Amino acid sequence: MTWRAVARHDRRQTRGVRSVRLLLGLLAFVILAAAYVYPIDADDPVTTARFTGYVVGWLTTVVPVVGVMLGYDAVVSDRVSGAMRLTLSLPNGRRDLVLGKLASRAGLLTAVTLVALLGAGFLVVYPFGRLELPRSLAFVAVTVLFAVLWTGIGVAVSMAVATKQRALTAGFGILGLFILLWGQLADLVAIGLEAIGLADGGLPGPVRFLFSLTPGTAFERITRGFLDPASSVGGPWYLSEWVALAVFACWLVAPLGLAFRRFAGSDLA
Amino acid sequence: MAVIDADDVSKRYGSVVALDRVDLTVESGEIFGFLGPNGAGKSTFINTLLDFVKPSQGTLSVFGNDCQRQGVRARSRIGVLPEGYAVFDRLTGRQHVEYAIDAKDAADDPVTVLDRVGIREAADRKAGGYSKGMAQRLVLGMALVGEPDLLILDEPTTGLDPNGAAEIREILREERERGATVFFSSHILEQVEAVCDRVAILQDGELVAVDTIAGLRESLGGGTKLVITPDEFDAGTLTAIRGVEGVETAVAVDETTIEVTCTNDAKMDVLVELNEAGVDVVNFRTEEASLEDMFVEYTGGGR
Repeated sequence: MTWRAVARHDRRQTRGVRSVRLLLGLLAFVILAAAYVYPIDADDPVTTARFTGYVVGWLTTVVPVVGVMLGYDAVVSDRVSGAMRLTLSLPNGRRDLVLGKLASRAGLLTAVTLVALLGAGFLVVYPFGRLELPRSLAFVAVTVLFAVLWTGIGVAVSMAVATKQRALTAGFGILGLFILLWGQLADLVAIGLEAIGLADGGLPGPVRFLFSLTPGTAFERITRGFLDPASSVGGPWYLSEWVALAVFACWLVAPLGLAFRRFAGSDLA
Repeated sequence: MAVIDADDVSKRYGSVVALDRVDLTVESGEIFGFLGPNGAGKSTFINTLLDFVKPSQGTLSVFGNDCQRQGVRARSRIGVLPEGYAVFDRLTGRQHVEYAIDAKDAADDPVTVLDRVGIREAADRKAGGYSKGMAQRLVLGMALVGEPDLLILDEPTTGLDPNGAAEIREILREERERGATVFFSSHILEQVEAVCDRVAILQDGELVAVDTIAGLRESLGGGTKLVITPDEFDAGTLTAIRGVEGVETAVAVDETTIEVTCTNDAKMDVLVELNEAGVDVVNFRTEEASLEDMFVEYTGGGR
């Protein structure tokens, strides 16, 4: 249970760092900007519940970037410098080390997300909007989990590789793939399938399922299916919000679990 | 009771054998010196004790806790100064010690700890600006937190001047007085000779000797050292001396002096051999073999 000591120790080092502040500031700015624009941009009625479906598209881009950037050096930079040997010379297990780092970094991200969403709620409600508390609170919870998920992917990358350079490359690779390329890849496959006559106007269900396996899409489906009264999720059962919930849960634990198995068994010296 | 118990420990990196079937037991309350030239595998052994490195074969335990499977329990009673560490650049010395206190759930006062290792005045400076010697003192301080029952120190005097090294040795003695066991590695012999109850000598990953210093002397057949000044010197002379039965090592210190370690009985034989080889001995004297001589003997450093 010494992960708390590791977390306190990591927070001491992280909170003053300029790049961390910048990243967190970016996240807060995006959430508040979305809340500022939403009442002007969207159709009536303006409610915090309907705001969820509006802001989720912004969050699926900015949260992954901030999460991965906060997590990618968490483990590997101490490993490269040798500072990790001090942590592991104390009665800390490797599990404590990783949990502590994740708790510290995801904790920072969570705190900023909470404050920014609170501010966003205020901007939506005042002066003409309406507060719908249960759905909004549920959205806050899912957003925090989404932030933890992406910090976890960053930390997982940090555990799996032995140099900071590789961690950065892998981190950007994952971001580029899921944020920039994934959608275009889906379009490309759709055009291809249409050209050879296998599909007509969009992808067949199973292929769509394949392309919906990203954390961002799962987050979006959960929001639209459960929380935003203005939208819904259609299609076959495997494209439903319930399956998205399962996909989301997998992303939350699988990268960390797999990377930890690798980290736990490797020589650090 | 055995504090450290290593059983048949090997570590291979590809085809390189870093540790070769090391069997070692360290008893409670002793200062144990772990000796060997650089690259002999001392740090690899210590890293397996700390579970930084997984042994390819064999088991290690500290206070009966398996170092790989119960590493946290094993380390909860150990204070460690590892090899190849770095300090946390952004944190002060005091914050480093606070981290150790926090993780060990101890109640020490950070300033007292820093005072003991001689860097009290640097307590509130960022450790990133510390010299190598100061960092070494800081990490030793972290190791001392919580009155550990065992100290494992990898080359503790690296980066320290002779006075600093003496201070460290004094701390090690104090820790033993308190009841702690001390296990430390070094390639500098006089440090080991000054404080150790027992020593182990590691050479190319193999344990070549484990004994008290007196015992090591004993095993060298009385441990006599001959210091000979011949009238002239050539390489053939050394070869001739080494051929004498009972001679352990023969080393040319410079172009004028030859040092020979041998059994007591062989002393005269050496001189006779020199005479027969046509070398006039200008001067000679005998000394008790120092640990350094034994070290050369065991690790073949002079041949």
